Amino acid sequence: MSGINRRTLLGAAGAIGATAGAAALVNSRMAKGQTVADVNAFMKEMQSIVGEEWAYWDPEGLLPYDKAYVPEPTDQLHPVGAVAPRTVEEVQAIVAAANRFRQPIWPISTGKNMGYGTAVPATPGQVVLDLKRMNRILEVDPDLGTCLVEPGVTYQQLKDYLEENNIPLWIDVPTVGPIASPMGNTLDRGVGYTPYGEHFLFQCGMEVVLPDGQLMRTGMGSIKGSTAWQSFKWGYGPYVDGLFTQSNYGIVTKLGMWLMPEPPAYKPFMIRHPNMEDVPAIIEAMRPLRVSNLIANCNLMMSASYQLSMFKRRDSVVPDGAPLDDASVKRAAKANGLGMWNTYFALYGTDETVAAIEPVVRQVLTASGGEVLTEAEMGDNPWFHHHATLMKGGLNLDEIGMIRWRGSGGGLAWFAPVAAAKGDEAERQTRLARQILDKYGFDYTAAFAIGWRDLHHIIALLFDRSNAEEHRRADTCYREMVSRFGEQGWASYRTGVNTMDLVAQQYGAVNREFNAKIKQALDPNHIIAPGKSGIA
Amino acid sequence: MKRLASSVSAVIAVCIGGSLWAAEPANYPAPRAPEKIYAQTCGYCHGVNVGPVIRGRELPPEVTKAFVRMGPNAMPAFRETEISNEELDALATWLQQSEADPKERGQ
Repeated sequence: MSGINRRTLLGAAGAIGATAGAAALVNSRMAKGQTVADVNAFMKEMQSIVGEEWAYWDPEGLLPYDKAYVPEPTDQLHPVGAVAPRTVEEVQAIVAAANRFRQPIWPISTGKNMGYGTAVPATPGQVVLDLKRMNRILEVDPDLGTCLVEPGVTYQQLKDYLEENNIPLWIDVPTVGPIASPMGNTLDRGVGYTPYGEHFLFQCGMEVVLPDGQLMRTGMGSIKGSTAWQSFKWGYGPYVDGLFTQSNYGIVTKLGMWLMPEPPAYKPFMIRHPNMEDVPAIIEAMRPLRVSNLIANCNLMMSASYQLSMFKRRDSVVPDGAPLDDASVKRAAKANGLGMWNTYFALYGTDETVAAIEPVVRQVLTASGGEVLTEAEMGDNPWFHHHATLMKGGLNLDEIGMIRWRGSGGGLAWFAPVAAAKGDEAERQTRLARQILDKYGFDYTAAFAIGWRDLHHIIALLFDRSNAEEHRRADTCYREMVSRFGEQGWASYRTGVNTMDLVAQQYGAVNREFNAKIKQALDPNHIIAPGKSGIA
Repeated sequence: MKRLASSVSAVIAVCIGGSLWAAEPANYPAPRAPEKIYAQTCGYCHGVNVGPVIRGRELPPEVTKAFVRMGPNAMPAFRETEISNEELDALATWLQQSEADPKERGQ
């Protein structure tokens, strides 16, 4: 049985049978000041709010909430329970109970933040507040290109809704779109690959359950009779929506977003560069095209090793245990129609506007040393197809294949330092990343997401989580990357539950104190997601 | 603590009792057929060179159900709130009985 091996089947047998081993593991650590009896009492209260079948604190019920990809060798981060409400009123009742019982709760929407923590809380002893059952698409306005969704709505669900109702609007997806939620990704300030790819930029209006149980609507949402809640972002007075992203100041129960009208013309491109050293030339060529918005979508500039890891296994490129050398990668890349760097963008508009912009773009990118390729040359190449799908808001889960690159151990942590979109910065980052990864025996499977004026260097740390030594080594490697990049002025835009405090420290004492003051004012019992983004 | 708890309860009572906004439509999605779940979740990986092929292999339903809930290795875990027990029972049975799809590829 290729891909389903003996170890996997044994794991399944363990899950089918008694999960006594997991019982000790899952319930091993309570939140500060909490006892097992306190958690039991709280979970019984949860049953009375959501019904017996939607509150879990037995090991078997908690198993899917405990799935993690990030390195966490100290094995501290496990939820002690989970509760799944259906309505805003139930969320409010849960928050009130959490205050009474002093039980911290960790909200998730679909819990598919893969490589950043999935559903696992950032500190021990929390009860996961699983909002997946709140999965209604409340409104789509085809004229304005706006929508209002609940936390549990997935990108797949939203796309299906638009197609079933013949609404010519696109969604904008992250790479695990089908199973992830627009709300979860937007609140973690994730990105996608159409011109609406900077997700928080295209968010408009929220409903939030505050830690004291009050229900607040942001922007125009608190004006009775307003029709502009999903049209006008700013409202009046301080703009507060950002306070509810990457934070623990409230539980967002409705989210407004803008959706891009389907353009009459869509043309995806791939630029193939032959050498690892081409990094600065590519960035310097792309920047003016992005800043001027001639290229309007978030570009992915993919290393060959990142691309290969999606659909290939490492032992098909180099023998087991051997370093992943550039010559072998280049050979494998070439055999699959790839260069050492592969940059994907698309043009959107009408046939006339695309025809007008294409020669300009071709000239600039050819001068950078790249081959400009389209569907005419790439055909059904799976990598080209993958990106051509993403850049029009299409769905796939191709990137999950990366987690099998080094075998079946299931370890992934994204390290995502930010820089200004300058070629020399990208080159220095690449050099530093490769140096650290080499030191620990891991591969440079990385990409640059080229934003409007910024770079997200997206480095996938792939490791075997079932190998204790490698698991520890991955953790040490990740922490060294965070620290040494930080020394150069490059900090993460987003990080996993295992390193939230570490990254928060880099942003400085004044910023941390500011965040702590807001937390204390809004949530004096610290019951909502303590530890999120390093906020206690 | 007591004062805070009672003020929280009072606020919630106001919110629940005197609903601040109009009632919303109850359009929760209906349970999905196995084919739909396979196409929109499993089939994005299994059969397209991301995960191993699982159709036409007579996988025991108990194994499928355990895999879905635990997420072994690279596979995500799926909770009851994502794929209900009723949906999962039907999916696991359907998968066991499914024919291999010659178009699928796996490694």
